[in-house]
Amino acid sequence: QHGRVKIKSTAQQEEEKRKEREKKLKIYVAARDACFSKRREGVWDDEALQLTQQLLSSNPDFATLWNYRREILLHLETVREEDELQKIYEAELSFLESCLKMNPKSYGSWHHRGWVSARLPRPDWARELSLCDRCLSLDDRNFHCWDYRRMVVKMSGVPVDQELQFTDRLIGSNFSNYSSWHYRSTLLPLLHPESPEPPSPCQQLLKEYELVQNAFFTDPNDQSAWFYYRWLLGRGVYVCVSLMVLHVREEERVVVAFSRPVNVSHFSWRNNYIISKNASVVIHIWNFVHFLTWTQICDLPPGTISDITNEHNLTVHWTEKHTHRDCALYTGRNESWCRDSATDQELFRSELSVEKTSVLQSELQSCNQLQELEPLNKWCLLTIILLMRALDPLGYEKETLAHFQTLKEVDSMRSAYYSDLCSKFMIENTILKMEYAEVRVFSISDKKLTTLCHLDQLLLVTHINLSSNLLQRLPPQFAMLQCLEVLEADNNCIENLEGLYHLPKLEEVYLKNNKISKLADLQPLVSCPKLKHLDLRGNPITETTNIQSELAELLPSVTDLLL
Amino acid sequence: MAEEESQLEEFEQIDFLRDRHVRFFQRTLQVLPERYASLETTRLTVMFFAVSGLDVLDALDVIDRNNMIEWIYSLQVLPTEDQSNLSRCGFRGSSHIGIPYSVKGPGVLHPYDSGHVAMTYTGLTSLLILGDDLSRVNKQACLAGLKALQLEDGSFCAVPEGSENDIRFIYCAACICYMLDDWSGMDIQKAIEYIRGSMSYDNGFGQGAGLESHGGWTFCAIASLCLMGRLEEALSQRELDRIRRWCIMRQQSGFHGRPNKPVDTCYSFWVGATLELLDVFQYTNYEKNRNYILSTQDRLVGGFAKWPDSHPDPLHAYLGLCGLSLIGEPNLRKVHPALNITQRAFQHLQQLQQTWRDNAGTCT
Repeated sequence: QHGRVKIKSTAQQEEEKRKEREKKLKIYVAARDACFSKRREGVWDDEALQLTQQLLSSNPDFATLWNYRREILLHLETVREEDELQKIYEAELSFLESCLKMNPKSYGSWHHRGWVSARLPRPDWARELSLCDRCLSLDDRNFHCWDYRRMVVKMSGVPVDQELQFTDRLIGSNFSNYSSWHYRSTLLPLLHPESPEPPSPCQQLLKEYELVQNAFFTDPNDQSAWFYYRWLLGRGVYVCVSLMVLHVREEERVVVAFSRPVNVSHFSWRNNYIISKNASVVIHIWNFVHFLTWTQICDLPPGTISDITNEHNLTVHWTEKHTHRDCALYTGRNESWCRDSATDQELFRSELSVEKTSVLQSELQSCNQLQELEPLNKWCLLTIILLMRALDPLGYEKETLAHFQTLKEVDSMRSAYYSDLCSKFMIENTILKMEYAEVRVFSISDKKLTTLCHLDQLLLVTHINLSSNLLQRLPPQFAMLQCLEVLEADNNCIENLEGLYHLPKLEEVYLKNNKISKLADLQPLVSCPKLKHLDLRGNPITETTNIQSELAELLPSVTDLLL
Repeated sequence: MAEEESQLEEFEQIDFLRDRHVRFFQRTLQVLPERYASLETTRLTVMFFAVSGLDVLDALDVIDRNNMIEWIYSLQVLPTEDQSNLSRCGFRGSSHIGIPYSVKGPGVLHPYDSGHVAMTYTGLTSLLILGDDLSRVNKQACLAGLKALQLEDGSFCAVPEGSENDIRFIYCAACICYMLDDWSGMDIQKAIEYIRGSMSYDNGFGQGAGLESHGGWTFCAIASLCLMGRLEEALSQRELDRIRRWCIMRQQSGFHGRPNKPVDTCYSFWVGATLELLDVFQYTNYEKNRNYILSTQDRLVGGFAKWPDSHPDPLHAYLGLCGLSLIGEPNLRKVHPALNITQRAFQHLQQLQQTWRDNAGTCT
């Protein structure tokens, strides 16, 4: 269903058309029935070829007819000589060309051409490549044609560097050819496979950077080159899952937090070991969280570690990843932990960190140059932000925030998306600062935060300050903050507290000037047994009649209630 | 939230011609013009666009539902007496093969008759939309027919005779299994591997491995994973973020399907629904999106076209409506972003599935 421009027609023309249609329909039905009866009788002759040709010319997507045609041709292969077959298949290719001229996007036609080319006794791959060239010159985004070309290249053994040169030509004449960049991205790894170790950039890769830079300097508004550039810079980045283990004496439990959802079966303990079996069964630890778990809590048998004069050694084995963590709970200590720190892990390194710092720095320089010439170009700004995060997220924080501001003005259609992205980066920076300072306080107020993320990294946090932001909810992952004692979230737009459950140490909650509107919103807090202080001033819920007594009933442990 | 409300007030300026669209779909269900001849083999999908379109417009009362339900059932490829054709069962696209009209079994054996995965998908959804309870669908036969279409690499063909195979048909298969509440019709793990393999360097999805990213295929990938309930298992957070980024960059005014291509009404749904499934549709610009879709509205004939000043067609008319529904256009029913039917029809499905589960204990 392709775009067709309108033209008007008279009533007489309409009537003529109708008569013609009826005639065509009769012929069509007769031909179809003839085809089917022939096929049923197992007749595979020239007349059958002709009939199917007639029908397929008006409807190249009648798959059954292509199948019948293939049966006929297969039969002919058994009874005709090779030279004759060559002629028959060449005639087939001509027929297909006319089909494709009429409809260059017919799946049936391309699929059949592929089949024929593979069976031709003496294939002429040069001819096929030239067909592709012609087709692409009419529509360089026709992916059917690109796919067919890839098949031809594979079957005829065209060397990879020759195809790279082909893309050179296309890109050279038109940088905006996204399909060419895409094709290039599939060819390049064949010449330069990715590896876990960062490779020293060889000549080819440096030339590749030059090629892309030429493209985006020439036309900074064309996204093809920018996406390709981002891909080049980020090749071969491998993400591992980190984990954090918390060993707590008073609650007699062990908490293991992962940096991404993992599929684990229940943890079992044996002597001093806890082993994850990693079978295919998943159990629900939480009532409200996704079925994949970020956090696994293991309650130890009572009395196991409660004696503070004892030392306990704990090892957590993660058999699937062949790794383990040791976490010793010393005499006189109430808790201990072991973690893969965010700084060591470079967990927040943006996708661009595989190349050596020197390469990233020189790329940043080039992009900055372009930015001076094209201050309103969003692709450039976005790439600069990502390069800065890869090089030095804390060092470049000020510039990053400034660039985000410009980006939101320049590409205002996506400003909400950029706010979300900026929130994420600010949270990452705050986590890094917290680690460097070796404190357990997470403070990120007045930063226009619209969303929360990386909560898996906050397992050890005791105090969190989210006040004066734009948050609307505390998501389920918030329940991972198992050490949390104080939550400050005044002056937000919070209406949903679903993540505030099963927090065993939570004592003080500040939610002044938010959007909590009904008693049900506070239900999760029922599972926080130590909650004493709750500030709900400036929330719609305070208008509810009898709210004081209802809250007293719902949350009996709360002694300081501010309404 | 407040920002959205004021955006909605400005919306009134370009008017949405509901009645024209209702009539457009009514005509689609009667006689189609000649240029649609090449769609004869897929006529059931055209019916789906019209019927679901009327559902989104809350105008299903203008059609004869029972007649349509009967016609759809006449397209079911049922098992023969000896059940020898189970792997060919499902729904066919129309009567073009010439099988005699019949709405009940046993099936008639015809060597070139078989279900087509997209027709089975649209047949089932159309029945649901029209209020049918699927009691005359031979579920086991459909699932057997579906299973026969999956290849080693995890993708699906459309018909057992063989055809091209790609991610579109994985989507159809996922919808079928989801609706019939039975995933024995496919090997989910293999399908997931194929989907993952179709992710391109820019984190859009192509039709298959090594193929160019495209809004339609990206929808098929993400919607399939959501229907399977495996989205966060199959894709890492980082990958999901990059997919979000690729998709959100598709908005120019309306949406296009690939970079440097013109915008096209249907992508307001394909990409819009994907963004909705990934929880970031709220970050798109509703006003520009709406303005584009309505610029392709045909003020005389009704329906929507892919571009302004072009002929409208059922596919774009339907997806244009779905695109408008996603942004909350008043008086349009909400659409389930993965299954591509109204929430109303979806609730009907959920009730049916509950009944099936309740009966499963008591059934022999």
